[in-house]
Amino acid sequence: MSLSSLPWIVLGAVVVMIVAAFPLFASGYQLTLGISYLYFTILATAWALFSGPTRYISLATAAFFGGGAYTVAVLAELMPWPFVLLTAATVGIVVALIVGLSTLRLSGIYFVIFTFGLSELIRQLVTWYEVNIHGSVGRYIFVEVSRQAIYWQLLVLALVTFAAGWLINRLRLGLALRVIGEDETAARHAGINTTSAKLTLFTVSATIMTLTGAVMAPRWTYIDPTIAFNPMLSFQVVIMALLGGAGALFGPLLGVVPLVALFDVLSAHFPNYFSILLGIVFILIVYALPQGVVGLVKKHWSRPFALESAALPVAPRPISRGALVNVDRLRKSFGGLHAVDDLSFTVEPGEIIGLIGPNGSGKTTVLNLISGALAPNSGHIRFKGREIAGLNPYKIARLGVARTFQLVRVLPTMSVSDNVLAALAHRAHPVWGAQAQDAAQSLLSRVGLDCKGALRANQLTYIDQKRLELARALALEPDLLLLDEWLAGLNPTELGDGIALVRSLQDSGLTIILVEHVMDAIRSLCGRCIVMNAGKKIADGPPETALTDREVIRAYLGEADA
Amino acid sequence: MTLALDILLSGLILGGMYALTALGLTLQYGVARIMNLSYGEFLIAAAFFAYWTFVGLSMSPLIGLIVVVPLAFVLNWAIYQVLLTPLVRRAKNRDMLEVDSILATFGLLFVVQGVMLVIFGGQYHTYSYLSIPVNIAGVTLSLNRLLAFAVAVTIGLIAYLALKHTRTGTAIRAVAVNPESAQLSAIDVQAAAAFAFALGGALVAAGGVLVSMFLTFSAAMGVTFTMKALIVVIMGGVGNMMGALSAGLLLGVVETSVARLGDPGLTLAATFALFLIVLLVRPTGLFGRYTR
Repeated sequence: MSLSSLPWIVLGAVVVMIVAAFPLFASGYQLTLGISYLYFTILATAWALFSGPTRYISLATAAFFGGGAYTVAVLAELMPWPFVLLTAATVGIVVALIVGLSTLRLSGIYFVIFTFGLSELIRQLVTWYEVNIHGSVGRYIFVEVSRQAIYWQLLVLALVTFAAGWLINRLRLGLALRVIGEDETAARHAGINTTSAKLTLFTVSATIMTLTGAVMAPRWTYIDPTIAFNPMLSFQVVIMALLGGAGALFGPLLGVVPLVALFDVLSAHFPNYFSILLGIVFILIVYALPQGVVGLVKKHWSRPFALESAALPVAPRPISRGALVNVDRLRKSFGGLHAVDDLSFTVEPGEIIGLIGPNGSGKTTVLNLISGALAPNSGHIRFKGREIAGLNPYKIARLGVARTFQLVRVLPTMSVSDNVLAALAHRAHPVWGAQAQDAAQSLLSRVGLDCKGALRANQLTYIDQKRLELARALALEPDLLLLDEWLAGLNPTELGDGIALVRSLQDSGLTIILVEHVMDAIRSLCGRCIVMNAGKKIADGPPETALTDREVIRAYLGEADA
Repeated sequence: MTLALDILLSGLILGGMYALTALGLTLQYGVARIMNLSYGEFLIAAAFFAYWTFVGLSMSPLIGLIVVVPLAFVLNWAIYQVLLTPLVRRAKNRDMLEVDSILATFGLLFVVQGVMLVIFGGQYHTYSYLSIPVNIAGVTLSLNRLLAFAVAVTIGLIAYLALKHTRTGTAIRAVAVNPESAQLSAIDVQAAAAFAFALGGALVAAGGVLVSMFLTFSAAMGVTFTMKALIVVIMGGVGNMMGALSAGLLLGVVETSVARLGDPGLTLAATFALFLIVLLVRPTGLFGRYTR
């Protein structure tokens, strides 16, 4: 703990004490308002825990909140209060896991749609259960919990929520989620298990929401599914988090403060027009403040940064014996198109292999198959003797296969050093903290990006973005590096630098497969070339023989020149 | 046997409505790239309009249909131009537009729903139009259902043929496949998107009028219809019109089976279950190619 953070800690403690003492002197109305503030703070913060970094919009707050409230309605008289809360938390976890496991593997839009209907679905299921099995739709809640007690329970829950958010931001998990929000494909290829990261945080967030519903339940004496699963709640929570800014831990709080007051006024004075006014407020926020209040503040106070560079030599790695990669009768077709057709080749450790061929010959598909972006229809890919065909990309990345993309995929709004940290923190032997910072620095200086660590990745020039992508790939400590047209689009000076850089990687023991159209680079770098045409291998050998092969010339230039 | 036929026919009629509304949504999402969460509210709004023409003006809901479809077209076109164009301009890529449009139309949902609640209240509405029993192969169906189905088929067919065989239709399909390339073929992507969004709105309004002829509805029901249209679109594969048609019919039959053989309270659960199964087995839709 540094000396500069001490005043903040003291301030935080004072604020917590004042908030905790509030019920002792508050009037009934003030206490009710205080409870509203607290529970919306918890819900909006919990919402932003997951939806902020991942940018997966969850519209299911009401489903979890209602689930908690209903658990209390059913169980309150059957067991002591702590057990009721524990059961509610379990309900939240189970529902979150079911929803998460079925939708979080897929693209974000399915998740949104699913959560959009979730509270309606659960409401219908509960109603069906109540009508057909329980016999009546509503339930009375007879639990003796004072409003003060509810207030204090909510306060504890709020503190737990903030603590969880603070902790997650400091863990590798927090970084992983931000990377997912930036570019999910790049995240997988940087060694991040995206599904488990999303699932973990979604469950944490949903459990907090469920507990909030459970704590709040005694505020109603009578509850039915329509009251418990009110879709308006999901809506209010999203507005608050967005107004404040979902990207920062205390962002949602900034939205809760004005909006709870506004909702209080609106529902008191215009009960019939509440939903219309709410909708208008929401639309205005989406248009005027897309990044929330926090985003507005950040725009005006962007902090200057200066980092010293510390170049560390990368130790050469020992060369193991036997083929590093063994591709055997690999096939991949898209509909009727055979992009890769019965392709076999091996790569020895320490080689630089040029994978060349006319456009559309299947080169990038081969890289996608090796790195796991695609699964083959048939055939084998063995890496260090282990079958990797069809494995999840993050697993392949952790085994030691790193790649760059034909169209550069940096994480645009994250800092240059965070781009590299993402891979450092999720490789097979992860590093974190100061050690990772040092490693990131040395990787950046290795690719020629010293002093640019604090810039945002989208502020870099094209060549620098390519360098950054390479640094991120190297951060995985790969044995095999897949470069997809990494040298394309460079001017002659940059090309010279690029070739020297790739050669230095080979000298440090890396094996490289290079998809490339720049023939000068192929000739000077590659010991061997594999030429593809229409998904098949048509030549395999040293560049000078492979490039003068009759079939290769025919494939590139047509029959007349062969 | 009669029960099976009964379920099949009722299911197909209901499914025809879903297919029509999904066709509109696939235009809005597949072409204009707007994920419209307020879609179902416009269906309910059209249903209320038909209710008002029948009960208030004592005119056939089909007259309401003739008025409401062009009206919805203009209204949705205006919504796209005023509300959504700024978001389209601001979005750096498709994902950003998706997030922004979800949020904006989520707000719109509550505005439209709120307006309907103020005017019509929260209770269920229904009216009795052409509830004359008709016997088909031993199954009794009311005439209003058959009429609604026939009109839905006609409208769907016209929309389908127009998209396949006119210049504007071709432009719209080109934008659905790839907006950037469509631009290179001298297609005004903005105009095509606005047109597609408006056309989608017109189709859902038609769906609303037809649904009101044989179902009870309330101001709060829009979400369910949005959900079902979304599910049908995803099952059919985004942008795939024949897919939306088949998936809509399938959903109608599944729902009717669950309602008749199980419990009407479980239809949404059945919809979700179907959705999950499709997502897990065929994430690109039953008939979908990979469109993104």
